[in-house]
Amino acid sequence: MSEDQDKYIAEVVEKALRGDMDAINNIEDRVTRSKAKAALIKAKRLSKTAAAEAAPAEETAQTDTTLTEKSLNQKVAEALAKKFSGSIDSEDVNEYIQLNGKNWFEIAQYLKDNPDLLFDSLQCITGFDFGEGEALEVRYNLHSMTHYHAIEIRIKTDRNDPKVPSVEQVWRIGDWFERETYDMYGIVFEGHHNMTRILCPEDWEGWPLRKDYETQETYHGIIVPKVKEGWE
Amino acid sequence: MGVVHGDLMTLNIGPQHPSTHGVLRLKVKTDGEIVSEVEPYIGYLHRCFEKHCENVTYDQVIPYTDRCDYIASMNNNFGYAVAVEELMKIKVPERVEYIRVIVAELNRIASHLLALGTYGLDVGAFTPFLYMFRDRERILDIFEALCGARLLYNYIWVGGVSHDFPNEFVETVYSFLDYFEPKIKEYNELLTYNKIFIERTADVGVMPPEVAISYGVSGPNLRGSGVKWDIRKNETYSIYEKFDFDIPVGSGIMGTVGDCWDRYYVRMQEMVQSAKIVRQALKTIPAGNVHQALPKKIRPPKGFIYKRTESPRGDLAYYIVSDGSPIPFRLKMRSPAFTALSVLGEISQGWMMSDVIAILGSLDIVLGEIDR
Repeated sequence: MSEDQDKYIAEVVEKALRGDMDAINNIEDRVTRSKAKAALIKAKRLSKTAAAEAAPAEETAQTDTTLTEKSLNQKVAEALAKKFSGSIDSEDVNEYIQLNGKNWFEIAQYLKDNPDLLFDSLQCITGFDFGEGEALEVRYNLHSMTHYHAIEIRIKTDRNDPKVPSVEQVWRIGDWFERETYDMYGIVFEGHHNMTRILCPEDWEGWPLRKDYETQETYHGIIVPKVKEGWE
Repeated sequence: MGVVHGDLMTLNIGPQHPSTHGVLRLKVKTDGEIVSEVEPYIGYLHRCFEKHCENVTYDQVIPYTDRCDYIASMNNNFGYAVAVEELMKIKVPERVEYIRVIVAELNRIASHLLALGTYGLDVGAFTPFLYMFRDRERILDIFEALCGARLLYNYIWVGGVSHDFPNEFVETVYSFLDYFEPKIKEYNELLTYNKIFIERTADVGVMPPEVAISYGVSGPNLRGSGVKWDIRKNETYSIYEKFDFDIPVGSGIMGTVGDCWDRYYVRMQEMVQSAKIVRQALKTIPAGNVHQALPKKIRPPKGFIYKRTESPRGDLAYYIVSDGSPIPFRLKMRSPAFTALSVLGEISQGWMMSDVIAILGSLDIVLGEIDR
């Protein structure tokens, strides 16, 4: 009997663990029921410690994945350092690769064509402003449709004379993304065939997404209403 | 036969024109009836969404994301919420994940219905448009019962959703699915296999996969070119890995791989897959509290994130930089329709004037999202 009973208890405990407490509550025999409840408590305690043990294991698993990501970033950084010496600005390449804009067009071509990397898709170009009086930055998110991996490349540029080589010939979407970044930050992409505003009207004054942007007072004779400071 | 080059004529389409799906202006240079150059001019709906975001708190951004892609607001909310949650490392309750997947997939169906219906309208088929809008209306009614809004939901919040399902919601969705799934056959008979429709769209505006990738085209447009790429599968987020669904890709049944008909048909098949996901989710949705994980104050730690999700139009990504304050330091939205429109000039060269309209319609753009 006891073996059968043990089996039965194990079954209902498993059901209860999945949230079906009725499986235990419906047991008619009181002894069996209390045994099942005791087993449930025990199982819960066990699973808790197991979870606590599993948690650090998960953490190590996570660091493992970051390791592989790291190795991709590092691999790219090493390859670039070898082929284009002096193009990488920062030693730290864990999250992104900081370039200085030298040879950026050739580097982009290399990243796209190298069979180990094959970054054939330019996902996004993000302009970035560190704040008044500081540098501007362009951030490229690249992705490979073959290897399914992605990296981020950043290029800093001077605020007063922002210039970055254009990559529209490498990735065709670069055309519009670069125009958008130019429109919002005034960063000129050298070698772009049509460096004009894309979202704002042609005669718009200033670069809207810069942190020190000031709204123009009138636009085509229309007075621009002042917005109160602080929107909260 | 040699090509005769006469003088090029410049033709202006839009900004107010029914076939441009919003306020879009196309400058078309034609050689007789043959198009030699198309240049889209955008920005008529520009509101500088990103500048607004730098002035409001994280939760106040969500209504703005609604207004970017107003056809699929749920998916926009979803992408933003997922990005901020990953930045803050919030884990949302299981029930919330299910609710989000259900509403996002329903919204995908609604969005595709609009895309396909208006596409039929573009190429001259009026009736399917009415059929599809009739069915889209039912989804909008479902959403209205859910959160009170028909188009701009502000439903998916960071850490949760605004309301739990109302009473009998699950039954309503089931009855909608029971009604909707047989309708696919009806659409196919009405439009997909219509001789005139096939003549207008098959072999027209072929987009080879390498062109699509180079132009950053994504979503159904990319899959129409035969590339099997879906963020829901390839870079899975939320709980999409729990569901069983296929990624339909274009195979050139009626003409060449990557033609307008393929892009159209991928959307049609995707609706079936979305319905399948909704069914699975409804069957296994757990109980729980949807407000449990809502943070009191959204204040992500210093850092940045680039998070992609699959909206009905493709890879919708948010690049968020946080400086530790309750206001985003920088928020960039990578909109899939923006990249889809950029390819128009490339793939419509050499086609007839009327084909440009067919190609533009097949890309399924939403100007609110392009101009932001």
